[in-house]
Order: sequence, then C-alpha cells, then structure tokens
Amino acid sequence: MNRIRALKYITLAAFAIIVVRLFFIQIIEHDKWLAKADEQHTLLETITAERGEIYMMDGEEPVAVVLNQAVYQVIIDPAVTPKDQIKDALEKHAKEYLTADLDEVYKTEGLRYYIVAKNVPYTNAQKIAEEGIDNVWLKEGNRRVYPEGEMGSTILGFVNSDGLGQYGVEGSLNNILTGKDGLLKSISDVNNVALSIGKDNIKIPAEDGKDIVLSIDRGLERGVEEVLAGKINSTAATNAAALVMNPKTGEVVAMTALPGYNPGDYGNVKDASTYINQITEVPYEPASIFKNFVFSAAINEGKMTADTTYLNTPSIEIDGNTIWNAEQRAKLNNQTITMRDALYWSLNVGSIQALKFLGDNPNEITAAGRERLYDYYYNKFRFGHATGIELIEQEGFIWEPHAEIYGLNAAYANMTFGQNLSATMIQTATAFSSVVNGGVWRTPSVVKGTLEKDGSIKPLENHEKTEDQILTAETSATMRSLLVNNRSYKARAGIDKAGYDVGGKSGTAQVIVDGAYDESMSNLVGSYIGFVAPSGQMPEYVIMVKMWGEGKALSGGEAQLLFDDLSNYVINYLKIKPGGV
Amino acid sequence: MNRKHKSDLVILFTTLGLMALGLIVIYAIGPMRANVLNTTYGTDYGPNDFFLGQLRSVGLSLAAFFLAFKLIPYKYIQKIAKPLLIFAIILSALLWILSLGGSSIVKCELGECRWFQFGGTSFQPAEVLKIALVVYLADFLARKREEGKIGDFKEFWIPLIVVCGLSLGLVVVAQGDLGTGVALMAIIFGMLLVAKVPKWQYLLMLVIVLVTAVGSVAMSSHRMERVNAWITTLTGGESTDSTYHIDNAMLAIGTGGFAGVGIGNSVQATGYLPESINDSVFAIMGETFGFVGLFLVIGVFCIMLLRMLKVASHTPDDNNRFLIIGVFSWTLAQVVVNIMAMTSLVPVTGITLPLLSYGGTSMIFIAFAIGLVLQLSCYTSREGIKHENISSGGRQRGSYHSSRRRHS
Repeated sequence: MNRIRALKYITLAAFAIIVVRLFFIQIIEHDKWLAKADEQHTLLETITAERGEIYMMDGEEPVAVVLNQAVYQVIIDPAVTPKDQIKDALEKHAKEYLTADLDEVYKTEGLRYYIVAKNVPYTNAQKIAEEGIDNVWLKEGNRRVYPEGEMGSTILGFVNSDGLGQYGVEGSLNNILTGKDGLLKSISDVNNVALSIGKDNIKIPAEDGKDIVLSIDRGLERGVEEVLAGKINSTAATNAAALVMNPKTGEVVAMTALPGYNPGDYGNVKDASTYINQITEVPYEPASIFKNFVFSAAINEGKMTADTTYLNTPSIEIDGNTIWNAEQRAKLNNQTITMRDALYWSLNVGSIQALKFLGDNPNEITAAGRERLYDYYYNKFRFGHATGIELIEQEGFIWEPHAEIYGLNAAYANMTFGQNLSATMIQTATAFSSVVNGGVWRTPSVVKGTLEKDGSIKPLENHEKTEDQILTAETSATMRSLLVNNRSYKARAGIDKAGYDVGGKSGTAQVIVDGAYDESMSNLVGSYIGFVAPSGQMPEYVIMVKMWGEGKALSGGEAQLLFDDLSNYVINYLKIKPGGV
Repeated sequence: MNRKHKSDLVILFTTLGLMALGLIVIYAIGPMRANVLNTTYGTDYGPNDFFLGQLRSVGLSLAAFFLAFKLIPYKYIQKIAKPLLIFAIILSALLWILSLGGSSIVKCELGECRWFQFGGTSFQPAEVLKIALVVYLADFLARKREEGKIGDFKEFWIPLIVVCGLSLGLVVVAQGDLGTGVALMAIIFGMLLVAKVPKWQYLLMLVIVLVTAVGSVAMSSHRMERVNAWITTLTGGESTDSTYHIDNAMLAIGTGGFAGVGIGNSVQATGYLPESINDSVFAIMGETFGFVGLFLVIGVFCIMLLRMLKVASHTPDDNNRFLIIGVFSWTLAQVVVNIMAMTSLVPVTGITLPLLSYGGTSMIFIAFAIGLVLQLSCYTSREGIKHENISSGGRQRGSYHSSRRRHS
C-alpha cells in the first residue's frame, strides 16, 4: 500500500473521529453541558439589607442608641489556605473573635470555606488582610452596637447571632428594622465576581430596614435608671421597675426594669428572665392601686361621691373569707367615714363598699355590681387586653362577673383592691392615665415613628391608636383631687413642691406562694402610681413604680419613696413649669 | 531537482489564517485571563498584555515563517543537520543539568523544568529538538535509502535508536514533557513509514514503543492519574480535582452548542478553564464559535495537512520529501492530540495547538517548519513520484498542480 496515502487516511480518520465527537458534545449533549454550566457559573447571592438603627429622643432631637458596625467573618479553605500563616495572623489580630479551633478545622477532612472568626472589627480585619495570605476571605457583615451599654435594655432588646431581633423593640419591630434582603443572580467568574455576560442576570436591590425613633427620652431614661439603681442598693429590693408616660398622648418617655443587661453582650446574663420586659410582659397584682379604678367606676356611674359615707369595720366577711383592712386605727374602726378617707387610708373595706355602691346595694355585692365593675375593668380600662403598645405584651386576667367559681363575690371583693386579678404595669399606667387625664383611654406608645431620609418622623403604619372617653371629665377631676389628697401630707412635708399637684396611690400586694396568699407578709410587692401636674392644670406625666425581690417584703410605702424621688426628678429634668398656687 | 515554481498557496493561506484566528481569540479572552491571574495570584497584567504578547509571537513567527520560506534555502539547513541536532541535544541536556543545580536561568512550572528564562523571555529547547530531529532524520533516512541500508541493524537501527532514544529521553524523562514526547514519536514514526522501513520491522518497533509507553505510564503515578481522570471523564464518572481540567474543557465545548456564544462571551475563559489561552484554546474556541466554528478550524487544519501530503507525494527528492512528512507528522500529532485531549478522547498531555495557542517558542518553530514545507513546495514535480504515486494527486482539478497553472 502506498505509504503517503496511508498517512492521508490516518489523517482523515483522526479528523472524522474528532468531528463526530464534537457533534456528540456540542449538538447532542449541548443541553446537558448548559445545565452543568448553569450550575457552575450562576452566582446566587443575597444582598443583605442593613438593619435599621434605633433612636431615642434628646429633647426634640432623635439620637441613635443602637447602631450598626461593619464587622468581618474570616473564611478559609483548609484545602489550600496555608495553615501556619493564617494561624499566626489570627492569633495576632483576631484571637478574641475565633469561632473554631484551627487544628481541628485542618484535621477534619473535606472542609472547604470554613468560618474561623466572626465579628472581627474593621481595623483587625484590615490587619489580617495586610498579611496577604493566599486563600483567605473576609466577608463583611454588620454587628449591632449599643453605645449606651445597659441603658434602655428593657425597651431595646437585642439581636441574636442569626440576626433576629429578640425582646424589646428589636423583637417587636423586627420586621420594620430588618428590611428586605435583595437577591443577585448572575453569571460569575471563577472567583465569584459577577460578570455582565449572562442574559438572565437578576438584581433585586435590598430594602434596608427603617430607623426607628422611640418616644423614650434618653436623658430621662438614664436618670430614672440611676434613681432605681440607688433604691436597689439602699433597700431590700433586688428588682425595680419604672414607667413614665404622658397621659395626654399615651407616649412613654421612660421605661425601665433593673437589673438590666448589655444588649451587645446579651449572652452574659445570669437568668434569661432578665430579657423579659417587666413592664409589658409580666402581669401581677398591683394591689391597692386598683382602688382608683373601682372608685372611678362608682363615681362615674353616679353611685357615690368622694363625700359619700359608709361604716368602716376592721374587716369584712364575704363568702366565708375574712378580708381585713391593713390600716387598723381607732379613729377609723367602726366609724362612719367618707370614701375620700377610705382611699386616703387605703381601706379594703372601703373599696369593697365602692363595689357595693356600684351594684346599687350598699349592704352587699350584687351581680349588677360585678357586671359594672367588669365592664369598667375589662371594657373601659381594658384590663385583660393587650394595650397595643409597640412591644411584646401579656394580657393579664380579670374574672368574668358570672364565672363559675367558688367565692366569686370574694374574688370581686379582692379585685377592688387589685388582688385576685393580674395586670401589667403598662395596662395599669394606661388605665390610670385615663383616670387623671380627663377620662380618655389612649393607646400607649413607645415609638414616635420611622426616621425618614429628610429627617422627618413618620408614624408607624398599621399601628392603630385608640382614643376612648371612658370617664367624664368631672369624674377625672374628682379622682385627681382624691389622689392629691392622698399625698397631702407629702405636700405639707415639702416633699411635693409648691406649685405642683402631685397625686398618687400606693399598693402592697401579697404574693401567692405555693398556691395561696402568703399571710406571713414576708413576701410583698410594692407599687406606686401617681401623676405630676402644674397646680390647677392637667397632669403632665404619670409615673408608676414597682419594687420587689424574691422572699423580700417591699411595701407600697417603700415604692412611694421611690415615686417621691422620681416625681421630683421628672419635674426637674423635664422642666415642668409650676402652676398658679 | 525540479525547476522552481510558485509555492503552495493553500498551505500559505491556511497558515496565515490560523495565526489570524489565534490573534482574534487571544484578543477576546486575554483580558479575562489577565483578570483571573491578577485576582488569583496578585499579578499585574494589563487587559491587553496577552494580546500584545500574542501579536509579538505572531510577528516573530511570521518572520521565522518567511525566513524558512524565502530566505534560507533548505539545502543549507540540510548540510548542518548533524551539528544542528547535536546543538539541540546539548541545549536540552544543558537545561537538565542546570535544573539539577537549580540555576536561575531555568524556569520550572509545577515541578517540570522545560524553559530557559532570560529576563522577560522564556525559551523551550524541546522545540529546537523537534525541528532538529526532523531535519536530521530527513537527511539520515535519505542517505540510508541511497545506500540501501534502510532496515539494516548496524547501519540503520543502531544510530537511529541512539539518536531518537537520546532525544526522547531528554524530553520525556528529564523534562517530563510527555506532550513533546508524543510529537517526537509521531515525527519518528511518520518519517520511518515513508522511508519504507520493512513492514515487519516497523510493526515490531510500534509494538515495542507501545509496550514501553504503557509501561512508563503505569510506572508513573502522575501519568496514571491523568489516565484515570480521562477514563473517569469518558465514562461520565464523578468529578474530582484531577478531572477538573478536562471537565471544564468539555463544559466549554459543550456550552458552545451549534453556533457558539460569540466572541467576548466566554464564561469558561474567566478562570474556570485552566490554560485557557494556551493548551485549552480549542475548548474556548468551541465555546465561542460552536460546532460550526470548530468544524471550520478542523477543516482548515485538515486541508493544510492533506496539502502537505500532496506536496510530499509530488516531491521527488527523498530528503525533501522526508522533511515534509516530518513537519506533517509533527503538526498532525499536535493538532490531533491537543483536540482529542480537549474532547476527552485521549488523556491530557499538555500539548499546544499549532498556530492558535498562546506561547512564543512553539509557534515560532512550527511556523519555521511550515515555512520550510512551503519552500519545498516550489520544487514539486508535475507527476506523482514513481514509487510514491498517489493516483488522485495530479488529477485534482483546480489544484496548484493542475496543468492549467503548471508553467506559471
């Protein structure tokens, strides 16, 4: 055979094989390769929306109290990242941010792209980058920073390691703060850099979270926390909570419970219950504070006045239970006294008498009385309902007037002085605001709105605010005078300054221990609620305080001392002008 | 010798056409290559650096091409065949010795030392060895043929085995360059075939070489890995690190489909496919120009190669004819092995695609070799040579060798 011709055939055969092969790969298998390419080339990346910041008020100006800080994750590929170099660099620059044991990471087979350090601040990350180690990636992210430390932790909450807001407004307004992550789908090069080549590239920009402005006044919040901390140091109390709100608007300007925690280091608490907002999430028995509400109901219904009298016995028997007055004085026992004095001395028999008046029978508790009280407590003052404040809330509990329980009348008798029911501080303070503000129940609020680009504050959408005239202005005025009367000796003592009407009411609650009220009185929760107003004018602020401690007896009197300090602090700090004397 | 006439225009234009195509492809993917290298290795390539580099290579190759084609008569080269080979062997040996000493003028990549490096330019002595071997074997075979010693053990096989063994040993063993080894083998086998080595001897040699090759592959874990990777890819097995190169070459070719994604739209060139501008340029062309484009490229190579065969079959002078066959075998081996590797028909060996791949030395020398063929195409005879007659050869219509243009 001709040998050059043989070469010709070899050549043709080789090229024929190649062409057939190419036809197979490019035409027949084309779709398979396209699918593989799509898998290899498509970059799907979440564009992280930046979380909104949180502001408090400093006078009229919003100031940021929760910020975002750029932090970095250090990611290595154990298959190719030089171990000694990265280990050295991390030891030097990011020791306290390590999230993995490098020796373990390198020992584990098959690990690729492993996060070895988290929350590394910019300067440290910069130093790691400057080491110029191959195959080390720094991924930028955000970390929540709380420059005020523990201040406001009750109301702020924190953001957990998954980026989810927990407790406080971080939790309750998580959706608004989070925004909406965007999406980038594109063809990318081998280093995952998006290319402009592809036809199906998609870019949905992230919608950053909204900045939230709280109605909380930063300076006042700090001051209130200092006063509370002082009380915890100087009394038996281990815990204290306080709430300052504007009864004309429902806006809360200070809200705190101590001990708090640092939201930036939220893991460092002894007890997870520290996170719980004592003001909105913990229903309790506010005790005699509730006398205000049964008095308001009876007066508003025209069933009694402040000057209506009754025979005050040291105790009263209802459904086989004996209910005693805490105050046992000769000048009160078995005397005919006014309802004003009954409130002044905080007489339980007196508040039960108010319930009797409410039921049109001065001698006994009637179904009509229970129904009316329930209507006021549940429907008008809205106990047993969430108030609608922009925080996580508990609803508390009120017995229904026809509840099928043994001793319903005794329960209702207890409910007149704030036991045998449960209510949160925010419910109580909101109801109290309506008692003193001319009779209007207003949805309480801690959020002014979202801070817009132009600096304006836009009220939150989908946050309904209720205004409901539940008491007459006259009833409210009567109640104010009664409350100021309660503190007349404080005014005389100069504790309440001249030029101001300061009214209030204490409450000392027995605590249920092992299913029954602790009669030893060694376990008491002290509360006080009151208002400050320029003399002769409407109240500017309602202040409520609560002091307690496990196994500690904290009376309403003790809480009253805290209120005294706070009311004066509020007057000074908020520069409330005195009224005409 | 026949009277000089015009050269073979088909070879001329296919060569120039392929060089131009190579430039276009490098122009399109050079910036991506620069970007990948800069990001991955922190180098500082400008977007047009690779295009300019290729432009320089093409310029030098054209110079070499026309030097061989027009300026240096082959008979002069023929005369220095032996010293040229000795020089080439010394050059390769020197590289090996210097690499053992870790000399700074030796450039090593991935543990294989194949280049001399002088400042910014590098140079691969194996390329010199290829052309030198072709020239030497043409001369050697022609002499032995004249002496009637072809197939003689002492006069023919001994010197042949010494020369070829030395060359292959330096390239494959010392430089670890299996690609060039394959090209050298193709050159040797192609030329021996045409030199009319007795059939039984030729077949025996083929068997011995195949056994040796299989043995050496099996002995080397590095080569075995490549073979395993090839089998894995061919049988559609799981991807591994060693199949990465071929997987991505196939991916590039496969995504090209019928008409390709178009110039500048290659994604595989953005770093997924290793050696995208050198050994893997065929795959990138597959992605860019699709089946149609590759078919044309292959067609151009095929026409060029068949044309070389035709010139050879009309070249009466043994030496000249053997040289043409040597260049043909060289080109064919590189084209076929490169493309078959990219399409997973053979294991990856690391061989450039002639005239298209980025890379100076390889293009310059193959251009020079083709230039020589072109020079020799001016001395074909009208008739097919008696003992190597290709019956269809002289009768092809419209070809240069047709009577119509015989006397032009």
